[in-house]
Amino acid sequence: MRKKDEEAFGYLYEHYSGALYGVIKQIIGELELSNDVLQETFVNIWRRIESYDENKGRLFTWMLNIARNAAIDKTRSKGFQQSQRQMPLDGDVIQPSVRPEIDDYGLKKMIFKLKDEQRLLIDLSYFQGFTHEQIATALHIPLGTVKTRIRSALTQLRTLMQP
Amino acid sequence: MNVKEYISSGIVESYVMGLASEAERQEFETNCVQYPEIAEARNVFELALEQQLLKESPAAPLLLKNQVFDKITSSVSETNTSQLEEESTPVRSLSIWRWLAVASLVLLAGSVYWAITSNNMYQEMRARNANLQDSLKKANDEITTINGTGAAQPKSDFKMASITAGSDASVSIYWDTTSKDVYLMIKNMPEPPTDKQYQLWALLPQEGAPPIDLGMIELKQQRLLYRMKNVQNAKAFAITLEPKGGSPSPTSQPMVSSQPINL
Repeated sequence: MRKKDEEAFGYLYEHYSGALYGVIKQIIGELELSNDVLQETFVNIWRRIESYDENKGRLFTWMLNIARNAAIDKTRSKGFQQSQRQMPLDGDVIQPSVRPEIDDYGLKKMIFKLKDEQRLLIDLSYFQGFTHEQIATALHIPLGTVKTRIRSALTQLRTLMQP
Repeated sequence: MNVKEYISSGIVESYVMGLASEAERQEFETNCVQYPEIAEARNVFELALEQQLLKESPAAPLLLKNQVFDKITSSVSETNTSQLEEESTPVRSLSIWRWLAVASLVLLAGSVYWAITSNNMYQEMRARNANLQDSLKKANDEITTINGTGAAQPKSDFKMASITAGSDASVSIYWDTTSKDVYLMIKNMPEPPTDKQYQLWALLPQEGAPPIDLGMIELKQQRLLYRMKNVQNAKAFAITLEPKGGSPSPTSQPMVSSQPINL
């Protein structure tokens, strides 16, 4: 892979594109743009593979973060905001984004087993990419509390993962 | 460090899922090197997440695979073509010339397009820049007026009086008791009738003393801060609605007046 071996890359694509595509779709919520983001993600993986450090984690984790960042960047882009009429996170009314056809697998499906507040926090931070500070301001909760609650929601999520 | 507590704090999940802050990330990476248990816990969670996501996920469109491959291999094929050209025989030179001709046309079209767009961009940036310069100058002028004598007297001691009347009018008055300058900041004021104008007054501490005229308030949009006339002494401020041009002494009841100022 480090030699930019195309065959290995093909294997990666076949093996992992579905999982990454799933997360991208859950963030973007729109088919057409999700395709673009998946494409960008793999191009980025190809270009940046030299910077992957196996001491810092698994390859899948690294690819997943590239995919998530690319998807969130897309939702921040002007065109997307206009098409989605997405509200900036500064009001009092925040609803977790729930779309039946794309929420019934993977992490999204799992967070529906969490308590409402925990689900909201994971949705805002992981799927919508808001910083802890932005969430604290929008929900009128102290920053430290936001951090503690997100962490406890994540550990809760982990227990749900155990088979 | 209590490694167990650290591991169960949620930092592992936070790090792996990309929700940790930069400082937390760096700390976590250092800790992973120092304490193998932490790196192991990270690995276990990564594996669990990976399996979870691989277990049930939609299939990525097949068509995309080819597009991605086209994209990432395009740089490779470019170098391949140039190698081919080096090896090519003179017999093929005609077609190369044709290619070059086509390529130069494409290049020409491209550079014309580039020239047009960059000129448009340049014009737009120039206009924006001029606008910015303009508003900067205006802002500077306002600051200069506001500073005025204040600059010479750095030891300002501002008293603030807020005037509110229902939700209609909300005004703050800043009175520098050192320089005696009075500033008026309008948060909200209803538009006066066309033949009337707001006038600001200082009410004196002496019983029965007439209010002192501090000037007319020209309501202008986008203008928040007004410099009014100086006043040596005041216990409160009031605003009345006066005929245009103002009156030497108030002709109407104050529309709004402030609480007494604590001196």
